[in-house]
Amino acid sequence: MIERCLIFLLFLTGFHAIIVRKNVIKKVFGLGIINSAVVILFILEGSRSGNSAPIIQPGVQDVVDPIPQALMLTAVVIGVCLTALALTLVYRLYTHSLSLHIDEIRRKIHDTTH
Amino acid sequence: MKKNKTDITKRKWFQITPGVVSEILPLLCVSAVLVPVFAISLPWPDQTKKYLFSSAILETGAQNLVSSLYLGYRAFDTLGETVVLLTAVTGAIMIIKSSVHTNNSYTFSQQNVPSKTRMLRTELLDTVTGKLGPVVLLFGFYVMLFGHLSPGGGFQGGVVIASAIVFLSLGSKSDGALVLTKPGVLLWIEAASFGAFLIAACAGMITGNGFFTNPFPSGFPAHAYIIFLNCAVGLKVGAGVSFLCIEMIQNKE
Amino acid sequence: MIQHTDLIFAPALLPLIGAAAAFCAKSLRGKTSRYLEIAAGCTGLVLPFFALFLLYKSTLYGAVYKGVIGNWYNDVGISYRFDGISWLINFLGFIIALPAWIYAQSEKDTKTFTPLFLIQTAAVGAMAMCADIFNLFVCLEIMGIASYILVASSAKPGAFLASFSYLMISASAMVFFLFGVYGFYRLTGSLSYDSIALGLSLLPDNGGHAAVISLALITGAVVIRVAVMPLYGWLPDAHALAPHAVSAVLSGVLIKTPLFALSRVVDILPSGRAAGELMGYAGAVTAFLAAVISLSQSDVKRLLAYSSISHIGYIVCAWGAAVHAGTHTPEGRILMSAAFGHAVFHAAFKGLLFLSVGITADRTGNRDITALRGAVKFLYRNGEKIPVTFPAFCIGFFSICALPPFNGFLSKSSISLLLAGNWQNVFLIAAGVVTIAAFIRLARIYFPDKNVPSPTYTPLASSTSGSVYISQIFLSLICLCSGLFGPFLLHTFSRILSGGLREWPFSARSFYTIPGIIKIIFYSAAGFGLYTLSNTHSVNRVLYLIKERPRSFDGLFTAFGLGLAATAAWMLFR
Repeated sequence: MIERCLIFLLFLTGFHAIIVRKNVIKKVFGLGIINSAVVILFILEGSRSGNSAPIIQPGVQDVVDPIPQALMLTAVVIGVCLTALALTLVYRLYTHSLSLHIDEIRRKIHDTTH
Repeated sequence: MKKNKTDITKRKWFQITPGVVSEILPLLCVSAVLVPVFAISLPWPDQTKKYLFSSAILETGAQNLVSSLYLGYRAFDTLGETVVLLTAVTGAIMIIKSSVHTNNSYTFSQQNVPSKTRMLRTELLDTVTGKLGPVVLLFGFYVMLFGHLSPGGGFQGGVVIASAIVFLSLGSKSDGALVLTKPGVLLWIEAASFGAFLIAACAGMITGNGFFTNPFPSGFPAHAYIIFLNCAVGLKVGAGVSFLCIEMIQNKE
Repeated sequence: MIQHTDLIFAPALLPLIGAAAAFCAKSLRGKTSRYLEIAAGCTGLVLPFFALFLLYKSTLYGAVYKGVIGNWYNDVGISYRFDGISWLINFLGFIIALPAWIYAQSEKDTKTFTPLFLIQTAAVGAMAMCADIFNLFVCLEIMGIASYILVASSAKPGAFLASFSYLMISASAMVFFLFGVYGFYRLTGSLSYDSIALGLSLLPDNGGHAAVISLALITGAVVIRVAVMPLYGWLPDAHALAPHAVSAVLSGVLIKTPLFALSRVVDILPSGRAAGELMGYAGAVTAFLAAVISLSQSDVKRLLAYSSISHIGYIVCAWGAAVHAGTHTPEGRILMSAAFGHAVFHAAFKGLLFLSVGITADRTGNRDITALRGAVKFLYRNGEKIPVTFPAFCIGFFSICALPPFNGFLSKSSISLLLAGNWQNVFLIAAGVVTIAAFIRLARIYFPDKNVPSPTYTPLASSTSGSVYISQIFLSLICLCSGLFGPFLLHTFSRILSGGLREWPFSARSFYTIPGIIKIIFYSAAGFGLYTLSNTHSVNRVLYLIKERPRSFDGLFTAFGLGLAATAAWMLFR
């Protein structure tokens, strides 16, 4: 139970970072943290379903459920791709407005278009 | 500094409250919605686990049950995942290099950054990475090829291969004399392995079994299909990730 | 050999094969590269039409292709289901993607555009036949990543910020989607829609609160892509600042496909019908509010983007009513056909508007509604001797203002007739009136005005390629044909969706009645009156305040949190 509370707090920390932090790189950190939180939840809860790794070897009886692990393989790769893409966008925003503060960026873009 | 502090304390409550509300409110809503999901305490359903334990080796030939899932039963999702990786790599490079730089007083200095990494490429680094790089590359191939027998597989092996290629390209003083670290070659490997993966997916249709089925005749060992898919995925991931890293570092060279 | 049932994978596979070829073309040079790219585009965007044609007959008579990809045991593999709605979604996707791609060929650098565009189209095709919740996640992510990159490809700074905001809110929403998947898998142990529904029905109380909340999480995550209020914040910037071909596909296809894919998910639980009810109400309010905001805009593409939000409100209103009535009842199916009919017609005329207005704004170098006048003469003097852009705009204008005999009139009238007597209908009609006013404002850029100087002639850097005209003519023909044969098309959509039954209650005579025509004249007059009113000083002031309302990044997340909580509460306590 305590693990689930910790994962929940981890998720809230990441979500809080996305909303509250004004530095865009910290927002991308937040996205990475919430991705990690959901992956850890799947893996942790999946690991409770058995005793050993899901590799069939002689003598292995009670394996954990391999489906959360297979799903999270995909989710981790997708999360990494999204983080990479977000950072390239941050890079281009920085080269345009020389600032990493979201309000500054928005203001500079508004000024260049008006 | 002091001026800012008095500013904040002097702001009225109706100026601070909307900010606080708009920060706390989504967190409260999200917590309220997520708590029942976190609190599920039913026993874990295990019908899938039992089925896989009994039939995965016969049907897919893989001892690693996770490999049997993501390259056998749920291979379509793996196809989607490789497409995501391909798209992200291509898109990231396109966004970094798109040529309309309006109002740009910050030039990503073509001269400064590469020369800094050049300076860091000392003799020590060259020797160490030159010796370690091939070993890591070999390890990556091992992880990739043995994915159906032990923990590992295409994605894991591919990332190790990518790290080896980045190693070799970063550390080498002669600036990546290996053909493997040239961006053009990496692009070709990536496109070719994506094509190979697609062909493997459609091969089942030609032999009449349907999409994403094992095209080999039944006498063949079943894990040959999984090994082929693992290789295609591993090469694709390795080439893609290393292309991204090398392009970002070398940039305008 | 390739069997008939393998054809259903063609709409998802052929664009992927085209993308692989286009990636190879990227590494080549010169003429071979160009030919390979065009071949890739044809493979990915033209050949699927043949597959759809071959599948038409069986789908029309109600054939449903179900199974597991790879022919594995049911519960472990990925289930798929290709039925009438899948065929229709594929039809919508490809009929818009092809002219948009042709239009984009006029740009200088299409080497990276083509593979990304084909991947996006492949994701739409794969989403159409999803019957597995994690497969839906992967398809949504593919579609999302391709669209973030394509939005940012116009390389304007505003486009990067728009793409960043879109990426952050969509990616965060997909994490909530994964929580929903966790909830369902934890309760039932399976991932396909049918198995989850079966597993939940075996649990006490249908899975209880956890199951309902999981469905609410999945619904909320999908609805952010559909951009109903209050979750619309990312759309105006993204659609306004993307390249024109991408805007056309975003507005036409990408905000509708997740909605129709969601219609299968909400069947898992009975409380899905409550979700549909809430979304129907939100859709009606969206239609009106977004139309008012579109009236206040001064940038041409932003006006079109808000108008897209307004029209997705129409579609969601009908969709919500369909889900509330039950997707397997005749009433639900008819409403769903009306929603889909408006989706296709809107995609056609909105795509046409984006392309024609986009080329006008590009040539004249001006995107401001108040400053741009006399575009028709300007286009004539700058190489368009046979007018194509202005007639295309006119067709789009008459369609969106719902004037007979164009297609917008038929789809909007069918939704209004089906929802007659409900309060949503009032909002929808009001939205129609405001839309007319907004588009009269937009149309003024084509006409000369003695107070405003015409744009000065600037010689073009490159001559216009024919692909710009071909794409506009293609979409204009689609709009005209769907207007002339509209009642028949709507009837056919209903037949395909319901699996062969002839349930569609409207014929041409239901639309072209004397009271109907009088209503149209009245609404058009009201729209024109509203337009003249909007030019007065006081109304102008109000509109200016609406336009300059403060919008922020965290506003997106506040709206998402509130929307999610509201959906969950509605589903739990209804």
